[in-house]
Amino acid sequence: MIKKKQAFRHTRAFWLFVLPALLLFSVFFILPLILSIGFSFTNYDGWKTMDFVGLKNYIKLFTSIEFYKALGRTFVYALCNLPFKVIIPLLVATLVTSKRLKGTTPIRTIIYIPVLLSALVAGITINWMFGQEYGLINFIIQKLGGTPLEWALNPKLATFVISFASNWVTVGYYMILFIGGINNIPKELYEAGSVDGATSVQTFFRLTLPLLSPTIFIVLLLSSVGLLKEYALIQGITQGGPGTSTTYIIKYIFDQGFTQYRYGYASAIGVIVSLIFIVIALIQFRATNGGGEV
Amino acid sequence: MRRNWKKVIAGVLLATTMTAALSACGTTSNNGGTTAGQSAGGSSGGVTGATIKVFLSEEPGADDINMKMMNAWAAETGNAIETIIISHADQATKFPSMAKNKDLPDLIWTTGIHQKYPEEFVDMSTVMDMDIFEDTVLKILGKSYTSDKIVGLPVQFTVTNMYYNKDAFAAAGLTAPTIESAWTWDELYENAAKLQESGAVKYGFASDVSRARYDILMYANGGSLVEADGDTFKITVNSEANIKTLEKFVEANEKVMPKAIWAGGTTDNPVDYFKNGDAGILLSGSWNYNSMLEEITNFDFGIMPTPKGEVSQASIIGGTALAVPENAKNKEAALDFCKWLYEEEHFKTYLQGDKGLSARKGVVYEPENEKSVEDLAIIQSEVAYVSDLFMVDESSGWRVYKNDEYRDTIKRAVSGELTAKEALDTFAKEFSESSGWAIAE
Repeated sequence: MIKKKQAFRHTRAFWLFVLPALLLFSVFFILPLILSIGFSFTNYDGWKTMDFVGLKNYIKLFTSIEFYKALGRTFVYALCNLPFKVIIPLLVATLVTSKRLKGTTPIRTIIYIPVLLSALVAGITINWMFGQEYGLINFIIQKLGGTPLEWALNPKLATFVISFASNWVTVGYYMILFIGGINNIPKELYEAGSVDGATSVQTFFRLTLPLLSPTIFIVLLLSSVGLLKEYALIQGITQGGPGTSTTYIIKYIFDQGFTQYRYGYASAIGVIVSLIFIVIALIQFRATNGGGEV
Repeated sequence: MRRNWKKVIAGVLLATTMTAALSACGTTSNNGGTTAGQSAGGSSGGVTGATIKVFLSEEPGADDINMKMMNAWAAETGNAIETIIISHADQATKFPSMAKNKDLPDLIWTTGIHQKYPEEFVDMSTVMDMDIFEDTVLKILGKSYTSDKIVGLPVQFTVTNMYYNKDAFAAAGLTAPTIESAWTWDELYENAAKLQESGAVKYGFASDVSRARYDILMYANGGSLVEADGDTFKITVNSEANIKTLEKFVEANEKVMPKAIWAGGTTDNPVDYFKNGDAGILLSGSWNYNSMLEEITNFDFGIMPTPKGEVSQASIIGGTALAVPENAKNKEAALDFCKWLYEEEHFKTYLQGDKGLSARKGVVYEPENEKSVEDLAIIQSEVAYVSDLFMVDESSGWRVYKNDEYRDTIKRAVSGELTAKEALDTFAKEFSESSGWAIAE
């Protein structure tokens, strides 16, 4: 009887603590998700028109070349940037956890600062650096006698600028995750490796990397989602241009919904894109055994 | 028992904190302020003690004439002003949300919301005498696209115009065109190339990234977006004339213009290029004239007439209108301000501060210096080039169906992603799907 009472109290306490977060999650995620799914079957224009149109929006999107182009560009962008999103923070974390390096605290702080910036500020900073006419990088190139680069005109260079900005803004965050993972590796293993004559490189590849599998999985998952959802930086730097070369899927959804007032159609795209992202996350989970191995 | 109470208190505190955070997030996040008018013991229009919420598209500077006039009215009538800053681009999204939440502003300075949602706004012809306004300006800025209802009062009326760098022209040995002897568009492109070759500027010509600026090229060559077809319209945006116009524009971007701006990979403003002396000729509008006067100090600039196309010179007028939502809480106070502003004495004060064109008959801006008198005479002459093709396009209300998509389509042609024909055909098809209008043969 006493045990039952205690169990009940624990359960009640659990729900009391979980309830506020659950409420927020429901209001800001579950409810909009349900509404979005509902809107996807209508011709909702954001205000006055909302007629049921059945699967018309889905048929339209599956037959839209622009949708596939935007999705294709997004996948290519994500695939090309994913390695950098993992490798760079991992290497930085390995460096700043090394006992041989001095001043690791200020270095970590400096690397983490961009994480604290809003996407707008990050976009403005990147614009200032990579502006084609008045940017710092082209100014330095010209001073060194070179030809300024067409950051804004060349689709590949424009994509590079977005990639650079995206990595710059997130490297500090993933670095922290990797630092936590590295610090959790038992020191005795490194001592044992050292006794066995393992070099630093061997220690890194044979010891550190395998034991960081769960962290690598988390970083892979988070960075995949982040890359697939890239929007704020694009809006601040290239606005989807030149042409539509940096118009990725979220910008495409934004344009359909907020610029063209096709909320119903944009919702349908959002539903399909969400399903695609869930499938990608599941594949990653299976491929890495939930972080059990890389 | 004590432990249980601790858990309960902790849970309640957490829930309270989260609820407080939710309601803080839910409050209207306005970059605005309130200006309390000094009570003058009464109002000219009878409404007093009200605080009217005003939509502005940007934070007003210290010398902003719009704010000064509103504050003057508030002080005179014992009312107050509360500003909400929402950019023109965001107003289209914010306004429906505010209407749904019954949290409408009382007064909007807007470039198009009133014509997009005419049923939401007061018919100003029932409130004021419309004969005091310039007819063309009232039709374009104030009238609903779909009926004769006057849903806004034109207040800041502007026209497209061309600026040029006098010093660069002198260095390149060019003589600026005059009203009597305007260039053609081909001559403009040729002379822009000469400006570039002379080294006086980096780019011969630059243009605002706006379909309204691009459209004057289209109208000058006899093209249009639509044509009247009985009670409806047919789409003509992808006509042969328009394709040729776009092809020339694409070529100009390759040779004499900062291509990155119209290609869409940068947020750079071509007006800044002109002010910095990097562009020799700028296609923009009269709303930039005052900032040019204040900010350009390293060279002398002038106004030149818009070039002629295959058919004529062309210009577009636009601007801001004052609109009052029907369901605004302080509708009467907002209307009172409108009536006050358009009284001759007050509108004269406004115009002297705005330094722009006048939408009200019998009141004009009188510049203080000779340069401004000459420049404004050329700007004023542009109003005569508003073509019938533009008026037909405006009467169709096409922007209800498509707006930014048209500009983005042109950008895709400039970037090389699509040919001019592909771009206009693609846009015509989407426009036809949205509007239900057929594409003209």
